[in-house]
Amino acid sequence: MLLTRIEASGFRNLEGFAQFGSGLNIFYGDNAQGKTNWLEAIYILGNTKSFRTSQLRECIAFDQQQAVLRGETLRGSTTKQIQLLIAEDSKQLFINGKREALTRYLGNLDVFAFSLEEMDVIRGEPGQRRRFIDRGAVAVSPRFLNTLSRYNQVIKQKNRLLGEASQSDNPAQYISQVEAWNEQLVELGAAIHDQRASYVERMNQVLDQNDHGRAIFGAERITVRYRSQLEGKGDLDNYADLFGERLALRLTAEIAAGHSLIGPHRDDLEIMSDGREVSRYGSAGQQRSALLLLDLAQVSIYNSIYEESPVLLIDDIDAELDRGRIEALLSELEGRAQTFVSTSRRAIANRYRDRAQTHRVERGQAVRETGSYDGVFVGAGFDNDAIDQADDGSMSKPTAG
Amino acid sequence: MLDYAEPVTKLIDELQKMPGVGAKSAQRLAFHILRAEREETDRLIEAIQEVKDKIIFCSTCNNITDVDPCRYCTSPGRDRRAILIVEEPYNLVTIEKTREYRGLYHVLHGALSPIRGIGPDQLKIKNLFERLRVEEVEEIILATNPNTEGEATANYLTKLLKPLGMRITRIAMGVPVGSDLEYADEVTMHKALTNRIEL
Ligand SMILES: [Zn+2]
Repeated sequence: MLLTRIEASGFRNLEGFAQFGSGLNIFYGDNAQGKTNWLEAIYILGNTKSFRTSQLRECIAFDQQQAVLRGETLRGSTTKQIQLLIAEDSKQLFINGKREALTRYLGNLDVFAFSLEEMDVIRGEPGQRRRFIDRGAVAVSPRFLNTLSRYNQVIKQKNRLLGEASQSDNPAQYISQVEAWNEQLVELGAAIHDQRASYVERMNQVLDQNDHGRAIFGAERITVRYRSQLEGKGDLDNYADLFGERLALRLTAEIAAGHSLIGPHRDDLEIMSDGREVSRYGSAGQQRSALLLLDLAQVSIYNSIYEESPVLLIDDIDAELDRGRIEALLSELEGRAQTFVSTSRRAIANRYRDRAQTHRVERGQAVRETGSYDGVFVGAGFDNDAIDQADDGSMSKPTAG
Repeated sequence: MLDYAEPVTKLIDELQKMPGVGAKSAQRLAFHILRAEREETDRLIEAIQEVKDKIIFCSTCNNITDVDPCRYCTSPGRDRRAILIVEEPYNLVTIEKTREYRGLYHVLHGALSPIRGIGPDQLKIKNLFERLRVEEVEEIILATNPNTEGEATANYLTKLLKPLGMRITRIAMGVPVGSDLEYADEVTMHKALTNRIEL
């Protein structure tokens, strides 16, 4: 799967379009010019969510009513046009001009991201880590999204019911209703627990085999473990039964609390470096390395399941890594992901000129650097203008505005 | 910008109260009505009045009907040993169209949904138990919708009905025809596979 082109309008400060190569793509430019905005646009186009904000409407430019992102993807020899429209209180998704539901839209462009914001996966709340696992698990099994969304619906209903019950003079009359919702919770919760646990297990295997990654990022051995809230309470291999038992046991406590107390929405992911929790004992550098290795593991799992490349975004690559590690990381990714990086350092853009498509970002426009590697795909939106101007060594003019 | 003349605004307001009709569609409908032939709009008014005047809910099964009890409840040709429970009258029509089912019905007029303020008291459950007292029912078939609310309702009813001793079944849940196998959730897929049939 490749993103060959993206066009943005009304999206933050972005203007025009950019075309991409199948391997490495670099956005470079001064701060606040829009490098990260381009990465965010790619991320949102694929995932319909941002890695920077939970409020998509924040992406709409100040003077605009709506933001539109339009992309072209290439899979085998099939091109698709995907489009996402962000309005004040809604978003709309389109494939080849036809409006589509989220479940059909997702999976057309699978994007993973490494950014400063994503450091919350290491340092932040358990919810950040659950979402990290879920993103990976959904990318390899799209139906998992429906399971998650059904589970969330049931939790919302149950919480409302428990809230009512806790305020009631006769909470006991709510018991059979709560039990009715719990039955579904058990089925869906077990599916979620099992799917996450097996994804994390798979991740562990990949991390274990990644000697090369360890060589890049230092000697630490990164391991992950899915930590269920029900750990120590019984047999996790038979999660459905255990969950059901615990729900029955805690029924009155849940009614008293007025919201649900147990379930996989309370689980966590343990990220260890040489057996010690990275969030607590790791240096900032170790935490970044750990997260990068986890991202690489997600890419590997994706590669092994689909036998094709996802998109990987690395925001502000030089802020995170020194020259040697950048080199090692990018060669590690060669052929395994269509990679987009942003950097404020011209030297990095220059160093990879012969292997990357480079865009200089200025006031929201991505201007294709002439003379940069033309690793584009035949027939897929070849940017002739930029190539025509390739000889004089200067920047090409923006081809759209 | 000036508002529309008052009767138009009023019509738009009323239309907008309909489920699934937003401001834009209400406006579009209002202008359609405005431009339509008098004859056409009279027919619409008549149809609405007729529904309100003539249609009632069956006191036995809660289905919509023009006679009480309804024709399903009084038909001698139907198997009175089975009651199939649906959420809405239109679910009943869907099942009836298959011509596979010859028993009786019971319409709940909704499904459990705390978020929408629907609890057991808002559903037509009470007269189901009255029926079960007087009729010799051997099987209850739960045909609530295969979404989270329908499932919760089926689970809730099962708990209430189990002690009465009749057979309780749930219509086979699985992957709806015409939908993508790829996107059915894990639990639905699992059920579809366990309930698969020999061909
Ligand atoms: Zn009837």
